[in-house]
Amino acid sequence: SGELYCSLPNPRNVHFESVNMKNVLRWLPPEGTGAGVFYRVKYSVYGVGKWIRKPECKYINRTWCDLSSETSDYEEQYYASVKAFLNGMCSDWIETTRFNPLTDTTIDPPMVSVSSTEKSISIILTAPEKWKRSPEEESVSLLQVYPGLQYNVSVLNKKTKKRWFFSISNTTMVVPWLEPGTAYCVSAQIRVTTPLLHSQFSKEYCISTLKDKTA
Amino acid sequence: TAGNNILQLGPCRVSMSMAEIRSGFNSIKANIQARDPIKSLSILSYPHSLHKVKPSERCCITHHLCSFYVAKVFRHCRTEDSYVNRKISSIANSFLSLRRNLQHCHEQNKCMCGQESTEKLKQITVNYEGLNVTSAAIKSLGELGILLDWME
Repeated sequence: SGELYCSLPNPRNVHFESVNMKNVLRWLPPEGTGAGVFYRVKYSVYGVGKWIRKPECKYINRTWCDLSSETSDYEEQYYASVKAFLNGMCSDWIETTRFNPLTDTTIDPPMVSVSSTEKSISIILTAPEKWKRSPEEESVSLLQVYPGLQYNVSVLNKKTKKRWFFSISNTTMVVPWLEPGTAYCVSAQIRVTTPLLHSQFSKEYCISTLKDKTA
Repeated sequence: TAGNNILQLGPCRVSMSMAEIRSGFNSIKANIQARDPIKSLSILSYPHSLHKVKPSERCCITHHLCSFYVAKVFRHCRTEDSYVNRKISSIANSFLSLRRNLQHCHEQNKCMCGQESTEKLKQITVNYEGLNVTSAAIKSLGELGILLDWME
């Protein structure tokens, strides 16, 4: 009857990798297997008994499966599971730990734009958007998901190497009393106090203050 | 106190060391949830998510769930791991002080319970009593994140 004999080693390190709530299931192939391994994926909502197969990840040979759509309700928690197949053999279903999109996602750094006058720099910060199914779908800023979201801003005087740090809640900021004709570099990070989340610092955005016209 | 949040629950306003509780829970979450094999049942979220609760009933639910965790969860979650036990008792202490604060609100009639919250709390008790005490307590502790997400 073509009954599969499940003695294939299991997929390893089955886990969710989540960035801005784009939730991708990833895993490693079973130990000692090369090419030719195929996988099936299913997922379930915690507290609801049903496992649901993911059709787009049926007999795939890649080792990831995008479950963002299925796990987009961040008021729920989820499990996912993977099974490997090779030459008529199969592995067990291997499950993730319980996944909470709200607390288990990684947040990208904010977008930073800077402008300058003679003695000040203006900084505008934009939080990343939550993953969405299609470009047409309405954008949701992570600021709406995490009302307690704050920004840590670093400003470096390239000449003196002096650096300031600011922690702000709103998205715009002016740094006054700067030296004219001097290069400054700005970098920013997102910090959410509860749940405890923070992004990496963004790359540095450098700009020079205008030269002093009276000099 | 540094790291405390102010929870505004209608007319009731209490301070709570949310970051401390979160960090304590995060450090034992995987350990505790791994002890709960029952994925098809939720104590807090069945049949409806806490997020369905009306804002006006949030104080009552918070107050009674706080008492529920103190009375029926933390004390039944002893493990063989002393690190986990220490974290559980630290969280329990934070809940004890939160319950005290909420009790003051209750005594000042700022934390009234309506029919909806009474039914929700009854359902949570039914869900809890549907399992043996240890399984129910471990499952409830594993769902602390659901409660904290909702409280915020």
